[in-house]
Amino acid sequence: MKLKFIFIFFLLISSLSAYQSEKYLEALIIGKVAKYVEWNTQETKDFIIAVLHNPFADILDTIYKHKTIHGKKVKLIYIDDIGELPQNTNILYIPQEDAAQLPDIIDKIKDKPILTISPIRGFAEKEGILQIYFVARKIKFKINLDIAKQNDLYIKSTLLRISEVLQKDKS
Amino acid sequence: MKKRYAFLFSLILLQSLLYGRESLEDSSLEDIMNTESDPVVSIDSHGQMNDYFDARAAVDVIYADQIEHSGYTLLTDVLRYFIPGFNAPEPSLADGSDHVRAFTLRGMSADQTLILLNGKRLHTSALLHVNTTIGRGSNNVDLDTIPVYAIEKIEILRDGAAAQYGSDAIAGVINIVLKGTGYKNSIALQGGKRSAGDGEKTDLSAFVTIPLKYDGFINMTAATTHANQTQRAGADRRLSPPEVKTHYGLPDATIYQFLLNSELPFQNGTIIYSHVLLNKKESKASAFFRTPDSSRAFNKDGFLPMIRGDIQDYSVNFGIKGELPYDVSYDLSQIIGANSFRFYVDESMNYSLGVSSPTSFYNGKLFTKQATTNIDLKKNFENGFHLLSGAEYRKEQYTISSGDSASYTGTGAQGLTGFQPRNATDASRDSYALYLDGIWDFTPKLSSELAGRYEKYSDFGTTTNVKFAGNYKMTKHLSFRTSVGTGFRAPSLAQSNYSLTSSYIDANGTLATQGTFKTSDPEAVSEGATPLKPEKSQHLSVGAVYKTEHAYIMADYFYTKVNDKIMLSDNLPVSIGNITAVRFFTNAIDTKTQGIDFKAVYNNMFENNHKLDISFWYHYDITTITNINSPYVTQQNSLAQLDAIENSQPKNSQRVLVNYKKEPYNIALNLSRFGSFSQVVSGKSREFDPMITADFQATYAVKRYLNVSVGGNNIFNAMPNKWKDLSGIGLGYDGIVPYSEYSPVGFSGAFYYVKATLKF
Repeated sequence: MKLKFIFIFFLLISSLSAYQSEKYLEALIIGKVAKYVEWNTQETKDFIIAVLHNPFADILDTIYKHKTIHGKKVKLIYIDDIGELPQNTNILYIPQEDAAQLPDIIDKIKDKPILTISPIRGFAEKEGILQIYFVARKIKFKINLDIAKQNDLYIKSTLLRISEVLQKDKS
Repeated sequence: MKKRYAFLFSLILLQSLLYGRESLEDSSLEDIMNTESDPVVSIDSHGQMNDYFDARAAVDVIYADQIEHSGYTLLTDVLRYFIPGFNAPEPSLADGSDHVRAFTLRGMSADQTLILLNGKRLHTSALLHVNTTIGRGSNNVDLDTIPVYAIEKIEILRDGAAAQYGSDAIAGVINIVLKGTGYKNSIALQGGKRSAGDGEKTDLSAFVTIPLKYDGFINMTAATTHANQTQRAGADRRLSPPEVKTHYGLPDATIYQFLLNSELPFQNGTIIYSHVLLNKKESKASAFFRTPDSSRAFNKDGFLPMIRGDIQDYSVNFGIKGELPYDVSYDLSQIIGANSFRFYVDESMNYSLGVSSPTSFYNGKLFTKQATTNIDLKKNFENGFHLLSGAEYRKEQYTISSGDSASYTGTGAQGLTGFQPRNATDASRDSYALYLDGIWDFTPKLSSELAGRYEKYSDFGTTTNVKFAGNYKMTKHLSFRTSVGTGFRAPSLAQSNYSLTSSYIDANGTLATQGTFKTSDPEAVSEGATPLKPEKSQHLSVGAVYKTEHAYIMADYFYTKVNDKIMLSDNLPVSIGNITAVRFFTNAIDTKTQGIDFKAVYNNMFENNHKLDISFWYHYDITTITNINSPYVTQQNSLAQLDAIENSQPKNSQRVLVNYKKEPYNIALNLSRFGSFSQVVSGKSREFDPMITADFQATYAVKRYLNVSVGGNNIFNAMPNKWKDLSGIGLGYDGIVPYSEYSPVGFSGAFYYVKATLKF
C-alpha cells in the first residue's frame, strides 16, 4: 500500500515541473540575451548563431527551429574551426573545450560586430563579451562593455543591470 | 489512507490550477536566471560532471541553500538530516567518542567511507573509538571540523570506489565542495536551546570573498559554535535519596573553525589553488559519578570526573592545474593534514596518590598526520574516450604521547586513566598508488568506465583494485546503471599501534592491569595477535533512473562483501604478570551488506516565482556477518559487539524533504523516520522502536540583505524509548543511562532556534 501511495504521488508530480541542464539554460540564454543587444550592421535575412565545436548536441536546433530574433529567422551554423565562421555572424558561442585557443579565436574576430558568448572562466576579462557562469545552480552574466562597444554592439541597460559589467572607465 | 490520497490529489491539482507553468522557452530572461540547473556531481567518475541521469552509480548532492534551511550548523548533523542510511548517533559516557562523533553510511563501518575536501582526501581524526559506540574500533574523519557556511555543495557517492580513490571508499565517498566565485559576503548568527531548557547553543559564522582576476577568488569562512550540555541522565540509585549526578547527554563544547579557499587563475588558464582549514574544539563530558567513600583521602562525598578534550586540526592544500600540449590537462597537488586530541580529566583524583593526588590531570595526546602528493593527467579524445591517469604518494604518522605520571600511576585518574610511557608510540608508513581510469562514451546512449588502481603500502604490501561501471540510456527518460568492483581499506596506523592500559585493585588487594594492546605488544602476541591485513571488499550495484521532463525517480540495489573486517576484540582473560586481560585489533570477520535506495526528487518554479522542492527517499540496508575468522572474537565473548554490527543501526530510514519559497518567504520541512535498532546488554538483545522526527524552518527576508529565521530540529520532541525490560543502576529504564547511546537521533529532544543572516 505504501509503495502504491509513493508511486501515485510521483506519477502526479512528474507532470508539473522541469529539471534543466546547464547546457539547456545556456542554450536558452543565447537567444534571450540577443534581444537586449543591437547590431549596427547591414540588413541581412537571417540571424546567425555560430557555435564552435557544438557542445549542445541537438538542444539548439530544438529551441531555435522556427524561431526569430529581431525579426529575422535564426540560422544555426556549427563550425569546427574559427576560419569557417560565416560573414554576418551575429553571435559566436565558444565552448569550454576551446579555452586554450581563446586568444587566437578572439584575435580572429577582433572588431567584428559579433557578440561572443562563452562559459570559459575569465572570458569577459580575456576580451570576450558575454561570459556565462553558474552560482548556486543559477545562471549569471559578466559583460565586457568595452569590447562590446569596440565591436560596435549596443547592449541595453536592462541586460547590464542584471549582469556584472567590466568597463575600464567605470567609476 | 483515503484521506491521505485525497489530500495529495487536492494539493497537486490546486497548485496546477493556481500556478500553471509556461514553457521555459517562452519565459523571461529573469525567469530563466531564477531557474536552477540540474544537480550535478563529479564524484562518480573522477571529475567528469554528471547529473543523476548520466551517473554510472548512485549519487546525491546537497546544496548550500538546502544546508542553510536545515538549521543545522555542524556537518555531521547536516548529512544525517538529508541522507537516510547516514547514521551518526550522539554517544555519551564514551570517553573520547563523546567529543568526535562517529558516522556510518549504509550501515557499514565508520572508517569505510572516504571523505574528500574539494576532491582531495581528508585526514582522519586521531581518536580511535574504543568504547561500545557505533564506530567502535574505527577512526573516522571529524566532519565537524569543516564550517558548513564554506560549503557550496556536498556530493555523495553511494558506491564502492577504491579503484578510483584508494583506501576506505567501500561504503561510499563524500566530497565536500567549497564555495567558489560569485558568492556574497555573509554573516549568520543563530541561537537556541532544547525544549527541556538546556543545551543552549550559539553559532556565529562569517563568509568573506575577495574576487580576483579571471574569476579567481579568496574565500574565508570563520565560525564558532558554543553549546552547553544536555542532561538526560536518570537518578543514581546508589545514593540515598537517589539523585541525578552523572551527566548523560551532549557535551559542553566550543568549536572554532576557519577555512580559506582560493583559486588564482592566470591568463593562459593555469590555476593555482589552495585551501587552509584550521579547527579547534574544546569539549567536556563526564564519566560516571564516583559515590561517597569515607576511606578516600578527599572527595569523600563523591565526585564526578569530567573528561575534557582539546582537539586541534588542520589541513593545508596547494595545487596547480592547467593544460599541457596535446590537450592534456594536469592537476598537481599536495595536501597535509593533522589532528591532535589532548585528553584532560578534571574534578577527579587518583586513589593511589592519596592526599597528594591532583584533581586535574593531563592524560596524554593522540596525534595523526597525513601528507598526500598527487598528480592527475587527463585527456579527452575525439572519439568519446576520456582517459585519466595518476600517481599518488602518501606519508602517514600516528603518535601517542604519555600524560602526567599522576594520570596513570597506580589506579590512575578516575574517569579516564592516562596514557603511560609504555603506550607512547610514533608509527609511520608510506604508500604510493598508480591508477588509470578510462571512460568511453560509446554512443550518446551508452557509456562505460573501467578503473584500476595499484597501491603499495610499506606495512602490509600491495593491493590492486578494479571497477567497471556503465550507464545505458534506454530512452531519454529511462537510464540504467551498474557498477561492480573490488576495494580495500588499509588498517589505520591507530588500529595497529593504539594501546591504553589501566590498573585497578583486584579482589586480593593487588594492582592488576588490563587494557588495549598493540598487535605487536608481547602481551598481545602471546595471545595470538598478528599484524593487521587490509580489509578487502567486493561490490555490485544496479539501478535505474527515470527522468521525465519534470522529476527524477531513482532506485538502486547494492551489495558489498567485506573480508577480514578489523575489530577490536573484547577483553580476553590472561595471566601475564599483573596483567589480567588484554584486547587487541584483529581481522575478525567477513560481512555482507545489501540494500536498496529509492529516491524521488521534484523541483518546480511556478509563475510569480513560487518555488517548490519535494524529495522522498527510502533506504534499507542489512549487514550480515558471514564468517568469524578470529578465535579472539566469538559469539561468547563478543556477542554485544557482533550483534551491534548487524542490528544496532536502523535497517531502514526515510526522509520527506519539502522546501517552499516565495520571496520574501522560505519554508523548509523535513520528516525523518529512523527504523528500529537494538543493543545487547547482559547477553540479551534490547529492541528500540522506530522514531519519526520533524525539522522546520521559516525564513523571512526583512530586507534584500537581511533574512530572519525561526525553526526547530525534532520540533515535536521525539525521544527514543527507554530500555523496555532492563532495570539497573547503570543502564536501565530506571538507571543512570535510561536511553541507548545507539539512538540514531540522540536523546536530547527538541531544539528551537532563531537565526539572522546578513548577505552583502
